[in-house]
Amino acid sequence: MKAERSHSRLSLRALPSLVLLMLCCGQGFAQVGSSTIEVIPIADRVPLAREVHSQHEHAADHNMQFDDRGMVMNSNSDVLPQDCESISEDIEFTVRAGTDYALNAAGRTFGFDVHDYRVPPCSRVTIHFYNDDQVRHQWMLHGLPRYLYPQGMFHLEANGGQHVMGSFIVPSDDATYLVHCDITQHMEKGMKAQLVVGAGSGDLWSVPGVSADFNRPTEKVPRGTWLLMTAMGMLAGAMLITMKR
Amino acid sequence: MRAAVLLIIGLVLSAALFPPQWYPPRLRFEIAQIVGTPAYDESAGSNMTAAEPEMMAPTEEACPEDLLGWRDAQTIDGVEIAAAPTCVADNPYAIAAFVRGTNNVSTDTLLRAGLAPDAVVKGADLDGDGDPDEIHIRLEVAELNGGSPDEQEPTAQFALAPGITPGLWVFAPKSFGMATENFESNVAMDLLRLPSPSMRIEQGDVVKVTLENTHYMPHTIHFHGVDHTYLTADGQGNDGTMTSENPLMPGEARTYELNPRSTGTAFYHCHVQSQAHILMGLQGMFVVEENRPSNTLQTLNIGAGQVRVTSQSSRESYTQEYDLHYTDLDSGLSGIIQRSNDPVEIERWIHGGYNLIESESDYYTLNGRSFPYTFRESLVVTGPDELIRLRVLNAGSEGLSLHPHGHKATATHLDGVLQSEGAQVTRDVFWLAPGQRADLTLNTTNDGLHSYGSGVWMLHDHGGRGITNNGIAPGGNMNAIVYREFLQPDGWPISQGEDMNMFFNPEFYRRADDMAGASASGAETEFTAWFMLRVMGFGLALGLALASLVKLMFPVVRSADES
Repeated sequence: MKAERSHSRLSLRALPSLVLLMLCCGQGFAQVGSSTIEVIPIADRVPLAREVHSQHEHAADHNMQFDDRGMVMNSNSDVLPQDCESISEDIEFTVRAGTDYALNAAGRTFGFDVHDYRVPPCSRVTIHFYNDDQVRHQWMLHGLPRYLYPQGMFHLEANGGQHVMGSFIVPSDDATYLVHCDITQHMEKGMKAQLVVGAGSGDLWSVPGVSADFNRPTEKVPRGTWLLMTAMGMLAGAMLITMKR
Repeated sequence: MRAAVLLIIGLVLSAALFPPQWYPPRLRFEIAQIVGTPAYDESAGSNMTAAEPEMMAPTEEACPEDLLGWRDAQTIDGVEIAAAPTCVADNPYAIAAFVRGTNNVSTDTLLRAGLAPDAVVKGADLDGDGDPDEIHIRLEVAELNGGSPDEQEPTAQFALAPGITPGLWVFAPKSFGMATENFESNVAMDLLRLPSPSMRIEQGDVVKVTLENTHYMPHTIHFHGVDHTYLTADGQGNDGTMTSENPLMPGEARTYELNPRSTGTAFYHCHVQSQAHILMGLQGMFVVEENRPSNTLQTLNIGAGQVRVTSQSSRESYTQEYDLHYTDLDSGLSGIIQRSNDPVEIERWIHGGYNLIESESDYYTLNGRSFPYTFRESLVVTGPDELIRLRVLNAGSEGLSLHPHGHKATATHLDGVLQSEGAQVTRDVFWLAPGQRADLTLNTTNDGLHSYGSGVWMLHDHGGRGITNNGIAPGGNMNAIVYREFLQPDGWPISQGEDMNMFFNPEFYRRADDMAGASASGAETEFTAWFMLRVMGFGLALGLALASLVKLMFPVVRSADES
């Protein structure tokens, strides 16, 4: 997953551009694709609650919500990234999640109703996250500045049938961020999306409806291909042997 | 005619230059009769011994340091948690939440445990004896070592033993956040592991178990040997089988209801395509404890093993209690989910591609691990004069002949039923067929019968397959009963035999036929210049002979050549 996320974060369509992008991807790469592996003790793997409001309807103004409806982590509607003078625009998305939104394609069981989000630099993004299944789902975004978002993460998690909301402010550089559900196999089976800031830095791999899978082509070689190739090979051999100079 | 001459020359040369290593034994014997036996060659067979020391250097620590202090005895949210003597211990915050209920502990404890607030909800004390009797458990289904559309490596990894990561499905308590240790890690977080957690409830409790199917395959839960009605109060299927209900589809939830009248060690498993789903890991121990006053149980025991908060009835008779969950896995089955990312294709392979009848297990686990990892977290650590309760479950596809060295244990309960005193057999090999449970009393009184005294006594399956990892020993469900004087402070046993560090290397468990440079048929001779010339000559002569043969056999080619 580590390598996957690194190259997903690098947003590649073509493998050869990997090296080029590694050299010039700059800040975004440094944040997520850092070569030093931080071992974060389990006890610190989530920032402890600065404020927990279990019965509060509007979570956007608080860093954290953790209750029967779900979880909101690192929500931030007012602190600006260092590279932004002011909030450029207020953008709101209503996102629905569940098996109903899985694309009718091989390897897709779960999905969001939107897999591709486009926002301008320095905009404030508010996500209203509705879960239409009866099990947990997440809308987890990676790669934000770590000085504002612990572990560079903005995280919404809704229990079955619930909805939660939260906001974050994107930095000024053009970048593509990974959005996914980190419950085992949910990203692999379709709950993967991308948030493109400005012009972005290319598409991520295997985003449903946007980009191809990296190492598992969905189209297989049709049955009988090997038979046909062997027959043609034998025909060519026979022609060579019987040919007069 | 030139071709015929060339053919004869080629054949003669090939025969003369044929590598002597490939001579049939009979011919070698005849030659030796004429020219005598070859001289002793010191270098022959040295390649294996030269490769060995480098191969067996450990790639990880046998006993990793307990940085978070999880092994210590501690009190969290008023719950007294016993110390864990082994190297690797369960998360004590999760244990505290399982005892008090995730609805009754602090947010800090929940965050440190990684549990959702409704994972284990404890309600009213219905019989007024000082412990909650309304229990609501929520389980999810996690896939470990699964495939990915982008990755070559398995996702959310859980290793049975060094380098062994077969695909697994497990029931897991409802959690929150990331499924891995952190964003940079590929390793599954500690709540997601094999085996599915042991569950403990009290006789007479009003229990709900909600399965939230987070997986891409349909599943159910069947409670094997636990008193439950066939239908729930509102007429829904409550048995988890194809006769009681439809499988629970991805994204759906279903609640099972239990109100057990009898006690005992039982188990639970998925009953969808049970020949495959159980052996993928959807199986766990289920214990109904006797009703006692102030009997607040540790509802879930992650990864089975030592019960750090024991029940009142256990404390009455025993000094310690351990859940020993045995199973076996077949890489032919577990590899399917790593080969494809398409659930339709996976299902096609599990249904019609995989054939259990023609399969044999490769991996044998105790509490979800195979040796050497079993020594990290499943050792039975004791002093003299203790009475220890071992709850044993064999949920695998093969029988288990469990043998404690140096001890004869007594089976008090079979399949959860108390045996009459005359029927409580004391012996040193216990046979458990697939699905059977036995409660064993391990008496460490040094009387020459129940115990032969202090030591590091092996505890393992006496069927040879069970102590291997894909046929390589030592591995499998190998474990030990360790007396405290033979245990280092870090939890690793003091053994005076083999250096066990060498087992902490994936190379040790790699089969010889995929090892480069080693041949199964014997030692190779050195590749000298003289031998190289001989082989090259043989290749040329054989090529010459074949080319001449082609010329002789195909007149078209010959006439074209001659014209």
